[in-house]
Amino acid sequence: MTEGRYVEGAARVQRFLASVAVAVLVSSIGVPGVAAAQRNLPAAEQPALPGLTIIAPAAPGGGWDQLAREMQREIERQALTAMVQVENVPGAAGTIGLAQLINGRRGDGGALLVNGLVMLGAILWNQSPVSITQVTPIARLTGEYEIVAVPAASSHRDMQSLVRALRTNPAAVSWGGGSAGGTDHILAGLIVAAAGVDPRRTNYIAFSGGGEAVTALIGGQVTAGISGYSEFAQHIESGRLRAIGISAPRRLADRDVPSLIEQGLDVELENWRAVVAPPGLNDAQKQALTAVVERMAHSESWRATLTRLGWTDSYLAGPAFDQFLDAERVRVGRIVARLRGSSGDANAARAGEWLFPVLVLGASAFVLTVLFVRPSAATRDRRATSAPVVRVALGLVSFAALLNPAGFVAAGTVLFACTASAFGSRRWLRDALLGITLCATVYITFTYGLGVPLPPGLFLTGR
Amino acid sequence: MFLFHQGCSLPGVDDVETLTALASGFAVALTPQNLLWSLAGVTLGTAIGVLPGIGPALTVALLLPVTYSLDPTAAFIMFAGIYYGGMYGGSTTSILLNTPGESASVMSAVEGNLMARAGRGGAALATAAIGSFVAGTLGTAALTVCAPVVVEVALRFGPAEYFALAVLAFVAVSAMVHVHYGESRLNGFASLLFGLLLGVIGIDPLTGVPRLTFGIPQLLDGIDVVVVAVGLFAVGEVLYRASRYHLDPEIVMLRGSLWMTREEWARSWKAWLRGAAIGFPLGALPAGGAEIPTFLSYAVERRLARDPGEFGRGAIEGVAGPEAANNAAAAGTLVPLLALGLPTTATAAIMLAAFQQYGLQPGPLLFQHEPRLVWGLIASLYVGNVMLLVLNLPLVGLWVRLLTIPRPVLYGAILILASAGAYSVNRSAFDVGLLYAIGGVGYLMRCRSIPLAPAIIGVILGPMAEQQLRRALAIAEGSPMVLVTRPISSALLAAALLLLAGPRIVGWWRRR
Repeated sequence: MTEGRYVEGAARVQRFLASVAVAVLVSSIGVPGVAAAQRNLPAAEQPALPGLTIIAPAAPGGGWDQLAREMQREIERQALTAMVQVENVPGAAGTIGLAQLINGRRGDGGALLVNGLVMLGAILWNQSPVSITQVTPIARLTGEYEIVAVPAASSHRDMQSLVRALRTNPAAVSWGGGSAGGTDHILAGLIVAAAGVDPRRTNYIAFSGGGEAVTALIGGQVTAGISGYSEFAQHIESGRLRAIGISAPRRLADRDVPSLIEQGLDVELENWRAVVAPPGLNDAQKQALTAVVERMAHSESWRATLTRLGWTDSYLAGPAFDQFLDAERVRVGRIVARLRGSSGDANAARAGEWLFPVLVLGASAFVLTVLFVRPSAATRDRRATSAPVVRVALGLVSFAALLNPAGFVAAGTVLFACTASAFGSRRWLRDALLGITLCATVYITFTYGLGVPLPPGLFLTGR
Repeated sequence: MFLFHQGCSLPGVDDVETLTALASGFAVALTPQNLLWSLAGVTLGTAIGVLPGIGPALTVALLLPVTYSLDPTAAFIMFAGIYYGGMYGGSTTSILLNTPGESASVMSAVEGNLMARAGRGGAALATAAIGSFVAGTLGTAALTVCAPVVVEVALRFGPAEYFALAVLAFVAVSAMVHVHYGESRLNGFASLLFGLLLGVIGIDPLTGVPRLTFGIPQLLDGIDVVVVAVGLFAVGEVLYRASRYHLDPEIVMLRGSLWMTREEWARSWKAWLRGAAIGFPLGALPAGGAEIPTFLSYAVERRLARDPGEFGRGAIEGVAGPEAANNAAAAGTLVPLLALGLPTTATAAIMLAAFQQYGLQPGPLLFQHEPRLVWGLIASLYVGNVMLLVLNLPLVGLWVRLLTIPRPVLYGAILILASAGAYSVNRSAFDVGLLYAIGGVGYLMRCRSIPLAPAIIGVILGPMAEQQLRRALAIAEGSPMVLVTRPISSALLAAALLLLAGPRIVGWWRRR
């Protein structure tokens, strides 16, 4: 799966390009989200923030993404800010999103990053250059216990049977879950350790999004899956998965899953989720963000949402949350160190990141050598001319060089004229006029119609 | 599958369920808004199919960011309309300009243009449009029946199988293109490897390690697929056309009646059905793509013709068959795309990228999680075919006029839109530079007859293949034998090997 940046939401919605025809079509049909958000704004309640970007540092479908989207819905419903968008930045257990928050959004008072226990583990696991101590803590929102589940067709009915299999051959029990070093991985390691096996022998298969791990588990590709209840709920209810253990201190009243502890495994783990803000915020910015999150979290509808998703409300903000974050960082550090062992075993988990690139590079070198050594079967097309290509290339280079200093319209006009001349047009004035008209249309459509500001340059002052 | 028999309805477990699912799909496709998106898609698709130099893959890539604003169902209905419309529109250019507007229309250019020169352009356009309709509808029906079956098989697929499937697709798209270009198969692999390399660039999602980024921060997020597709298909193409524009053939203006004579009908309908029968299975195999079936169909029609001597002088079967084949193949390629998440054409690859932007992973579970989207999309294909027939028969004159847009204006506009598009992906001038660099590579590839489609498939499918390989190895405790000990995976890899070595074995056999 391509790990691009998945972005959704009203503002990014409009950052798109299209042919002018479709652009007009889209803007005439309208972008429902934006319109709705603006309509819903009660005149009496001024939003605390002009806009908010909630970064879910995972692919859509997982727990962080779910939390981000529920927050978006709730904040929009209460009209706490004018516009809320969710941005997915998947990869490396959220540390890619964290790095982006720290490096790219310093001082930005309109951004929140969803994070949690998983990210603390991942930072240590990946020896990430960024740290959770670099961000501005805002609030803890939810807690959730982890579920161990097996496919319906599995022979394992409870944890004891899984533990027996573990003791026979730990490598034959594969665990599917989220990113390496995350809560799921930590729990797998704790279970293996509690079963009396060296946690370093845990055969853990990391998937980058919750949805992918569920798919692999349903398909029977891994022995057992670990995830929060909400990600498994739909499939447990439909009977495709069987929950055999929960990481709560005791069996929960509202769901009939035996705890790990009552099955003889001394393991307890709560996966909390929180939001943090970029570094370098002043007190006013921090308070504004905290106010929005607090008003969101202290509402009846938010509690209803939490109940629906099976999440525990564990709202905590201010200095208490700062202290909690510090304590967890230390606790997780110990667990991860134990999982990795003292040797370079983390490298074993990392082995393979260069396997594929090396294979591809090697094959490329081979194919290129053969192609250049062996004369091409096709004789060179003698009728082809290179002068027009040079003209187009000149236009492209000019556009790239002029785009930011001179603006889109000027750069585009040069590109248009160069290209037209390459295709045999000798009417420079007409081409320049056509180019200006076309570029101005594109500029206006993009900047005002679609909300994608193109570089305005010297002659136009952008908004 | 045994897992799904209890309490969960998997559309397509039997025919009745398929029909019910399809009916609910029509309920989605026939809402006024979705009809509008379908119409927008097929209209745009026909237009870009007609215009030489831009095709459906490029158009969908340029529209990708639009998908953020739309309900995914609406977006995919539009994309599918563009895909099908491109197949219809391409034939008009082939017939009247002798330049295929779209690579799957190459064969139609041969006989179709000769017919146009002989004053039978109207009949050629008619047989192409009606044949496309017949085969497109038959292909869509076959897709309706096949997709749920493939879904059931696909549920048994794990990381090893998905990796093997990707390898098969890589080999197929790279090794088979030489049929089209008559060049060394290494050319296809060179293109594929270029795509795979571009796909590796960026932060490794499993470990967070930056790879091949050379310390350039803009490369950490990877190269956006929009930049790659637009660079290769728009910038590379314009550069290529610039070097050869003075060779542009003249347009044969449309003369004569659009109506086919009784004899032409009689000669066409069998060719349509044969074309559909050839096109769909080849498109549906994770191997074919849309071009090869058109070559096969042309060869079959030529062999079966009562008067083979007419081929090369404007035989209507030579238009009817390949046109039907390419539309049926287009429907066929949607089977592996929807049921397995496996693209076999450039357009399908871009559509896969679109799915991923929504956080949707095409594959067996898509049919369960998003039945509205999948069946709405399939139903919209039936609707789109009817729209396309109307657009392309009575309104063909309108499309012909698109061909008269002066080349300087057309290509100038393409470059402006491509540049604005690449810029707005990340609002970065760096991407514009990257776009032009990739366009330069695309131009060199075109000059050396290196096909572009394998590069697009490599850049999109490569990262998936790599992650599945690493997972398969981890599950098997590091043993690469897992790829050959699992039956489905080993069968897929054997098929890939056969495709790779097949021509040599056949050659050796013949020499004996």
